[in-house]
Amino acid sequence: MVEAKNMCMRYSKCGDNALEDISFFIDRGEFVFFVGSSGAGKSTLLKLIIREIKPTEGELKVFGRDVGRLPRHRLPYLRRNIGMVFQDFRLIEDRTAFDNVAFAMMVTGATRREIRKRVPHVLGLVGLQDKAETRVCDLSGGELQRVGLARAIANRPAMIIADEPTGNLDPGTTFDIMNLLRSINLRGTTVLVATHNRDIVDRFKKRVLYLEGGKLVGDEQKGIYTHVH
Amino acid sequence: MMNKRGFILMFISGFRYIIAETFKGLYRNRWMCITSTGVVVVTLLMLGVFMLVNLNVGHITETVKEQVEIVVYIDDSAGQNELAELENMLSGHPGVAEARYISNEEHMNRLQRQLGGMLEGYDSGMENPLLASYEVKTVVPESVVDLAREFETYPGVSEVFYGQGYVENLFSVTRVIQLVGLALMVGLSITAVFLISHTIKLTVMMRKKEISIMKYVGATNWFIRWPFLLEGLLMGFAGAVLPLLALYYIYQYSVEWVIVNNLLFLNLLPVEEVIFELAKYLVPLGTALGILGSTFSMGRFLRV
Repeated sequence: MVEAKNMCMRYSKCGDNALEDISFFIDRGEFVFFVGSSGAGKSTLLKLIIREIKPTEGELKVFGRDVGRLPRHRLPYLRRNIGMVFQDFRLIEDRTAFDNVAFAMMVTGATRREIRKRVPHVLGLVGLQDKAETRVCDLSGGELQRVGLARAIANRPAMIIADEPTGNLDPGTTFDIMNLLRSINLRGTTVLVATHNRDIVDRFKKRVLYLEGGKLVGDEQKGIYTHVH
Repeated sequence: MMNKRGFILMFISGFRYIIAETFKGLYRNRWMCITSTGVVVVTLLMLGVFMLVNLNVGHITETVKEQVEIVVYIDDSAGQNELAELENMLSGHPGVAEARYISNEEHMNRLQRQLGGMLEGYDSGMENPLLASYEVKTVVPESVVDLAREFETYPGVSEVFYGQGYVENLFSVTRVIQLVGLALMVGLSITAVFLISHTIKLTVMMRKKEISIMKYVGATNWFIRWPFLLEGLLMGFAGAVLPLLALYYIYQYSVEWVIVNNLLFLNLLPVEEVIFELAKYLVPLGTALGILGSTFSMGRFLRV
């Protein structure tokens, strides 16, 4: 599903490599943590997968397509198969939870009937069926991230990418969100999570890719964060 | 580029959303939209006022120009052949629109009409001291000076009169007004483009988060652009129609004021004609400015 071969990424011509000689393969339905300290290259890797940036060297295939060669007009169709979850939620504050999820479906051309059926369903999956008509500015941090998750799964993507999804949450809410991601994964969706939260990595015991200084220094099945730190 | 079928399907499925989103966008960002439209209104109002003045100055000078003519006085001693040759040369000249013969009797009659009782003592039996002439209207009023010089060389011509000095001044003043008008209109149009694209850019910047979310969830650039383009179009259209309405009333009032104050020599163009002429320029200009402003302002935000 995601395959990197000797991939390098440099933000400027004379700058250091943000990622250096990265190779890995992630199969369909896997749950993978990308771990490492700030600046290790986790977010860069996720940006490459959604083709926000292109690798400067090497190859990165997502859903079997080389994203470095993907024309710009094909990007929306790649991204419709990827649900994004952000640390800062990136919701539209003056709209309701329903509107935020519906928004993601509308932009991909879903009909109103589909939206009316699907949005309450996904809000129910994340436990927010009663908050559908609440404006997101009136929701708590945990609830905001649940809306973010609901939006990410609304279009039934094959893969969820979460960049520090629990970075702004308290420990209790963190585990709720991670459990939701695990249940999404159990339904067959590939989940990639970038984090430096050792507790969740250690507790979930999923595949862990360790990044340090832009290099992939470890790849363990059922890994724990403390192996390299 | 998305293929044509994909674009049409996307457009049809998203049409409702785009229209709804356009009006929601206008409502949600109503203060910013009012500001943007206000900028378009003020700029186009200034441009409109200037166009009104320019149209009327043009109309008045054209009316004056139409009255400019060359009077070719015929030499008393000219024979029949010379007269016939002169008439052929004048009426056959490509720069001449009309050449009308005025006999010395007709000149005397005109003089008597103009002076009334002041021409006492003259009766038709006396020798007429006035010269017969041709009154020549030119095809292009600006060619009067050159043609007058040419006519002086024609056979049987005693003197040529065309309002020397006055005509040259009229033409140079007209040229200056036209040049200044053109410069001001170009300047105002450029200012309008800058102001409008800047204000719309602010509107777009306020919504850059929304745009980036749309990009992340897989919206195509056109799907994102449409509501903004329609918003720009509506703002530009409103920004053109409002000053047109204002100019209609201002101009109507000015025309009435000219009539009431008996300043009919100003010879202003009729309201309907002027407003139609302004609408022809301002509505497409305002709408195009709105669309262009949105398009240029969005480019950077679509590269996510």
